[in-house]
Amino acid sequence: MFRKTFNSLPHFRQLCALPARLQNTQAAQVPTPAEPEDIDVIEQRILKHPDYFQVHNLFTVRDLFNARVHYGHKEGSLDDRMRPYLYGSRLGHLIFDLDKTAAHLRDALNVVAHIAFRDGIILFFNRNALNAHLVEQKAMEAGEFSHTRFWRGGIFTNANVQFHAVTRLPDLCIFLNTQNNVLAQHTAVRDAAKMAIPTVGIVDSNCNPNLITYPVPGNDDSPAAVELYCNLFKEAIWRGKRKRRELLGLPPLDEAQFKASRSRAPKASQS
Amino acid sequence: MAQSRLEKIGTIFTRVQGLLRGGAMKAEDKPIWYDVYAAFPPKLEPRFDRPASDIPVRNIFYAEDVVRAKLHKQNKPHETISLFDNKRATHSQQFLQIYEQLKSQGALDDQRIYETALDLFAEQRKQTRTDVAEENQLAGDSEPEEPSKSTLLSDFQEAGEQQLQQQQTTPGKEKKESTPAINIQSLFKD
Repeated sequence: MFRKTFNSLPHFRQLCALPARLQNTQAAQVPTPAEPEDIDVIEQRILKHPDYFQVHNLFTVRDLFNARVHYGHKEGSLDDRMRPYLYGSRLGHLIFDLDKTAAHLRDALNVVAHIAFRDGIILFFNRNALNAHLVEQKAMEAGEFSHTRFWRGGIFTNANVQFHAVTRLPDLCIFLNTQNNVLAQHTAVRDAAKMAIPTVGIVDSNCNPNLITYPVPGNDDSPAAVELYCNLFKEAIWRGKRKRRELLGLPPLDEAQFKASRSRAPKASQS
Repeated sequence: MAQSRLEKIGTIFTRVQGLLRGGAMKAEDKPIWYDVYAAFPPKLEPRFDRPASDIPVRNIFYAEDVVRAKLHKQNKPHETISLFDNKRATHSQQFLQIYEQLKSQGALDDQRIYETALDLFAEQRKQTRTDVAEENQLAGDSEPEEPSKSTLLSDFQEAGEQQLQQQQTTPGKEKKESTPAINIQSLFKD
């Protein structure tokens, strides 16, 4: 409503032929920044920016290389749908094209940040026992959720019955590896697609990337690689959340409170 | 509120879009991710039936792999490589450096370059091993830096060479132990 009257001012001036000095004083009225923009409007506005949360600053291709993200499995276990993401094979070991991985990872981090900005619930999945504890910890530090155990069939598709309450499903699923213990695709990938939940997933050379909304081709087994992904996702989530609190005028959250305290000492003595 | 659980048909976006357009889902029930997906769609549509591409996987080979293959075929590798250590060059990398240097100087043919490079490399290794052995002795450290497989005979031979070299290079140097080019502690250590 305010904007409409401001737009009509020039026409009014032209019609009434106001003297120059009056025009100057009237032209000084611009939309004041003190007027709070509705959070919905802000949410729509920032979508126009290609990288509002600056996720491209979070990592470099060299970081990916040092974390051994480019190592795939051997040629025999290659899933044909992963061929476009490969750089080549070195004596039978498949190597990912890190330029493509970087581009996909930037897209994924951008989406993660936007969904965290909109107060979305994010659920981390990992069914590789080696990295399960790491993923649980990082998800907790991000202030989000994780599921690294056996996945019962109806958790998404029959949630209201299984949890005995009306359940809000996650708004984004992040798969640190898309396979389960027996190297078949994790049921939650298909279930998230069924329940119209977007997924971000690290797809290795033996995985099926088709049902993942934002696949990130790369190594899903090395602890170094998984730690890098977890740190990147955690930082993207925090950027989204911090921005939201800032724009709503709330005080910033103490991120240290989400870290699992190592010592058994009571919290009062630490702070 | 209507849903569509058909993951094999279209993508999540097309299905939700269909529900919204058809009025089955109200605009205020629009999921959080819908606008984000519309603004930042993925590079490839996440369709269940997206066909697999037939791109061949290319082999990663370099020009120096020929030389490397020759080296590995003829010489058994006896070196410990730490994959975390990026600064130290492995034996094959050092050999290749020597080979490339000789090749750039350019007079000989491939087989001759290879043999010369082998000799130069062997000399270089001996030199580093004596340097390292001297350092270790002076520091009093018993473990050699390059743990190489060795027999008793080869140890005695090495020790003999070291003794000769040390007598030639540093006649007046003072040592902590009385005789020793042979370090008794490292000799019988596995």
